Amino acid sequence: MQINWQLRELNLKIVYYGPALSGKTTNLEQIHARVDPIHRSDLVSLKTHEDRTLFFDFLELELGRINNLTPKIHLYTVPGQSYYEASRKLVLRGADGVVFVADSSPEFMHANKVAWGDMNTHLASHGIAPDQVPVVLQCNKQDLVCAVDPETMKNLLNLYNIPTVSAVALHGEGVLETLKLITRGVFTRMQQQQQVCA
Amino acid sequence: MMNLEPRNPADFPVDVILYPGHDKAFRRVLEELAQKCPTQFLLLSGVSGQPIACEGEKGETNLAALGALLAGDLAASQEIARLTDQYQSYQMILREGRESTIFLSEAGPFMILFARVDHNVPLGWARILILETCRQLADIASARPDELASLDLGLHEEHLSSLIGDRLDSIWSG
Repeated sequence: MQINWQLRELNLKIVYYGPALSGKTTNLEQIHARVDPIHRSDLVSLKTHEDRTLFFDFLELELGRINNLTPKIHLYTVPGQSYYEASRKLVLRGADGVVFVADSSPEFMHANKVAWGDMNTHLASHGIAPDQVPVVLQCNKQDLVCAVDPETMKNLLNLYNIPTVSAVALHGEGVLETLKLITRGVFTRMQQQQQVCA
Repeated sequence: MMNLEPRNPADFPVDVILYPGHDKAFRRVLEELAQKCPTQFLLLSGVSGQPIACEGEKGETNLAALGALLAGDLAASQEIARLTDQYQSYQMILREGRESTIFLSEAGPFMILFARVDHNVPLGWARILILETCRQLADIASARPDELASLDLGLHEEHLSSLIGDRLDSIWSG
């Protein structure tokens, strides 16, 4: 988070995390395609020759003046492939909120669980306790015939108090809802941090 | 009964807080660097990639994208240094080009300075000036004004989260 008091500007970093091919980049592509261009930057992608995320994707959203405050939201994805673990850790640095994009295919449940554990390890390495950062679980690819339903996925991942969105990111379903939930979560957390019990 | 009071802004868990006065001081230091060492473009950003100040011709450069890439580049380089047991503060990345040289340097723990320097400038001279500038920038960032209590971003607004959600709805074309 970066605060510029002079400009009354608030810069927030939200990271889309999850196992390989779960749809993290697709989320950003859909946001890029559906948000009015005057309110967003170009989509920056560092990809391999095979069109897979090498380091991160980046997109900035400018929400304009709200209540005398100018919030800017910086969205990042991490590379999902297992051997880019060090890069995932780096992208999580300074995250104000995380969207965990889980793959709803039954065969991906183990990969989801491993990625969730890795994410918490990386957050801890940056001094962030998992319960200190707002997280939204997005159960993506819910259009698959054999898709595991969100409630079952939450149980499998032992996640009970985390906001969850059912999504088909490829068609834009659940993408805005996820973005709204995580953004609200970040602002609510900031408001809580601003107040102390006296 | 709960009595909720604004917290000292300096206690926020943030990368960088820019107070009134910082912006002018950053620009002064960047202008001084540009005068001593012919730079084509300077960008100061936070370690998470958010641009803070710039000097010189940015042309069509997307500063948000450049800031994100600088943060990624520096973070990767720092991690390489840590893995090889070579990490120290104020380290620098150098990228030589035919017409200009790019320097990427830590400016304290929370900021990055990007400098595109004319290729005619001796590298050693540019390196010394940029490192000195980075230390000055870090000193400025670490200074806090006395009147913190009067600074208020308006985060106490009860419906702020709803307003943010409404704005996201309004910029979404479906």
